Amino acid sequence: MPEPCISDVDFTMFRELFYRKTGIWFEDGKRYFVDRRLSERILASGKGSFRQYYQKLRWSDNGAEWQALINALTVNETYFFREVHQFECLVNSMLEEIAQHKTPGGVIRIWSIPSSSGEEPYSLAIYLLEKWRKLSEFDVEILASDIDTEALERARAGVYSARSVQYLPKEYLLKYFTPLPGDQYQLNEEIRGTVAFSRINLADPQDTGMFQNIDVVFCRNLLIYFDDISRRRAAETLYDALAPGGFICLGHSESMSRISSLFTLRRFPEAIVYQKPIRRAP
Amino acid sequence: MKRVLIVDDAVTVRLYHRQILEQAGFCVEEAINGLEALEKAVAAPFDLYLVDVNMPRMDGYTFLRELRACEEARQAPAVMISTESQEKDRMAAYAAGANYYLSKPILPETLVRLASLLTGGRPS
Amino acid sequence: MALRKATTIPLQSGAADESSALESLVRQLSGPDVEERRHAARNLANRPDAAAVLVSRLAQETEPDVREAIATSLSAIGGREAVEGLIPYLSSDDAALRNTAIEILQHLPADVASHVDGLLANPDPDLRIFAVNIIEALSHPRLETWLSDILRNDPHVNVVGAALNLLSEIATAAVLPAVEQARQRFAGEPYIDFACRAVEKRARES
Repeated sequence: MPEPCISDVDFTMFRELFYRKTGIWFEDGKRYFVDRRLSERILASGKGSFRQYYQKLRWSDNGAEWQALINALTVNETYFFREVHQFECLVNSMLEEIAQHKTPGGVIRIWSIPSSSGEEPYSLAIYLLEKWRKLSEFDVEILASDIDTEALERARAGVYSARSVQYLPKEYLLKYFTPLPGDQYQLNEEIRGTVAFSRINLADPQDTGMFQNIDVVFCRNLLIYFDDISRRRAAETLYDALAPGGFICLGHSESMSRISSLFTLRRFPEAIVYQKPIRRAP
Repeated sequence: MKRVLIVDDAVTVRLYHRQILEQAGFCVEEAINGLEALEKAVAAPFDLYLVDVNMPRMDGYTFLRELRACEEARQAPAVMISTESQEKDRMAAYAAGANYYLSKPILPETLVRLASLLTGGRPS
Repeated sequence: MALRKATTIPLQSGAADESSALESLVRQLSGPDVEERRHAARNLANRPDAAAVLVSRLAQETEPDVREAIATSLSAIGGREAVEGLIPYLSSDDAALRNTAIEILQHLPADVASHVDGLLANPDPDLRIFAVNIIEALSHPRLETWLSDILRNDPHVNVVGAALNLLSEIATAAVLPAVEQARQRFAGEPYIDFACRAVEKRARES
């Protein structure tokens, strides 16, 4: 089959549709990237043209194709200290506010979902140990959840490739990891032991094992995969899991405003995050 | 350059107004509903808001009321645009905080003249 | 004090509880406490028999968060009762209620399909525009027919405008004659001319 042609109008239409679906907007500069990935998906789906593919996306019940498309168009590689500016925001801004309302010695809970193979919750652990001055004043619990039990197993094992740890400062790598054969690194037991893993399906309305009194949620690049209603319900679930004044961080291209009006936008120097109001106005 | 936020769920309407305003020298951004518009307005307040009434997630009236409650946008000029043209809708728009109310479809000259007027003269 | 492993996962008490009697959830839905009403609305998402009471509460509820939860649950439940209860809200003076109803109906294309002809024939042009917004989610072949009819026959410029807006996404060459008719019927309207050109550009690319 010849490579499908994607015209300017096609790109405009697709960009709009993708934006409405996921909240991710492609600037004109991303044209080449989008065209390439989109053409691959069109060919893989067996549709002859952009138009047929577009119709399939728009009007048939197509979770599987949307999933594949979103995967193709988003960078979903996970690695340590990914979007580290949000961790900076955690330590410099969010935790400062949270600490003000906690009694000394109180518990602070941070939830990473989806935790995938563990890079995010472990990054949080390392970052807090190295960068949060007030860590000694509170008990901090890091909770990590994913729908994929194999990913959870890999996370518990804590073995990572050189690629996955490449953005860690060298001294952290030396301090917290043990090198293994095959250019791999295993996270030390002390760090692995600080994270509590669990299997959760955020999209499943029957999954009632939900959390509460969470102070900070990291939910990056998960909601973009959901359909509209599931996404709203997931946002409500996360809202209910948060303590009043708690924060939620999404992926950098995501926006809670597309999803739910429950949260308040907070603009910190390091990042934009969303907050559950401390007290709802009467 | 004066910045305008076009808030409308219809892509053709946004394009139409965008073209008119860009030709007149305004810098234009878009939002497809009131929720999104609110987030953009808080992040970087605009010189003028062009607001459709009927949108999903958050309608135009609710958006305007929320906008007026924001420190950043209390004074910002806002034009409400609607397909409805009854007197009660006009009054509702002003009650929500609109400076002006226009019925669709809008003539290019009208939009440019009004936008210039509300942003204090020439766009740049 | 430091990093410590959570030994118990802090579960919500009173999380969505299958055994909650429908009556008690319905009572909470109209109760004095906002959070309780919101939770009740959420928990009713799995109860198709709650459609009527959710529809009724939607019109009375003043808190936006609760309204949103009701809307989400109704979108999940769907069904004839929900649709028939929501359609009268399209004529409401309350803009938030109107638009919430449209939004829910947009999520229920299969249930809405049988009402579309009636809505498109309504004497109120705004209702016809809402109908165009709702059919956006319906399957493709019927859509073009409905929209072409509007382009040829609808007397109101904004209804035609709404139809053109939707066609700009999906048009094929088959609608071009109807587009030309719309252009002629509303000659002198810059927006219609603009929208017709957008549709033609789309249709010719097919």
